[in-house]
Amino acid sequence: MIVCVAVVGHQNNPLYLQSFTEADDALKLHHVVHCSLDVIDERVNNPKRNAPALNETFLGLLYPTENYKVYGYLTNTKVKFIMVTTDLDVKDADARNFFRKFHAAYVDAVSNPFHVPGKKIASRSFGARVSTIVKSFGSGTTA
Amino acid sequence: MGREVAESCVDGVVMQMVAAYCGGFYAAKPELAARRIEAIGFQVGHQLTERYTMERPRFSDHLEAIKFICKDFWSELFKKQIDNLKTNHRGTFVLQDNRFRWLTRVSVDPSVESMDATENDSTTLGDSAAQTTSMLLYFPCGIIRGALTNLGISCSVTADMSNLPACELHHFSCLLHTMQHHEAA
Repeated sequence: MIVCVAVVGHQNNPLYLQSFTEADDALKLHHVVHCSLDVIDERVNNPKRNAPALNETFLGLLYPTENYKVYGYLTNTKVKFIMVTTDLDVKDADARNFFRKFHAAYVDAVSNPFHVPGKKIASRSFGARVSTIVKSFGSGTTA
Repeated sequence: MGREVAESCVDGVVMQMVAAYCGGFYAAKPELAARRIEAIGFQVGHQLTERYTMERPRFSDHLEAIKFICKDFWSELFKKQIDNLKTNHRGTFVLQDNRFRWLTRVSVDPSVESMDATENDSTTLGDSAAQTTSMLLYFPCGIIRGALTNLGISCSVTADMSNLPACELHHFSCLLHTMQHHEAA
């Protein structure tokens, strides 16, 4: 189950941050997302460790914590997508698929002429679409 | 999945936009009109790169990003690749398109021109035709600048068609100065 997703702009400015838990741990999840930004920077600036996957948008597992796994995705325009999940055995293909859909939703949202680049995405339809994608990710792994 | 727009609609919108800004809102200040049109293009280019770079790996350097603009981005927008790319290796790039799609259907109404021009010789006609057409180029320039800015290359883009005869308006070359290279040099 995905507990938190985030979109972070090229200057590390948050564009969209949404957690999907009942419990009151939003702050903790935001902290996890915040920490993962450093990991992304490190991955991009020292790409020696994963040389074959050089310059791929999907960054794979950024780091595991006790309860979560954090996945990252970096676009050509330096927009970062981060996903925090509680599933401990996530298939790379599933994560890739999730990010592809998430990215498509983001592109549609920023193509709105009323969206100001660099500002938070306030679109309600984007939020609805992201929650659908997040829900379908959960069902996809159990099925 | 991809939704399409008729080319004639795009042509019409661009021409109407230029007419509205140059003749209506900022009739007295052509530079301001140009800046406004360029800014609209900037936003369009900014959003388009987001979409067109979706399925490709990240660019490792500036040249790769510029090649993307010349090939893929150009084909998406103008249905062909550029004809020539020159660079001085110091951050200036010249992109040349010998048949720039957005200008192929531009024509200048000679009756309007002859009223404007005091003497109806071909040079005055060519001059004002070039001036009218150059207003149409601020929008594509803005698009290219927006696209490159979103890819992390801050630059200035200028269009140039001045050294060409008036009958061949659809030649288009654009000069691209990237700022970061200048600072490094």
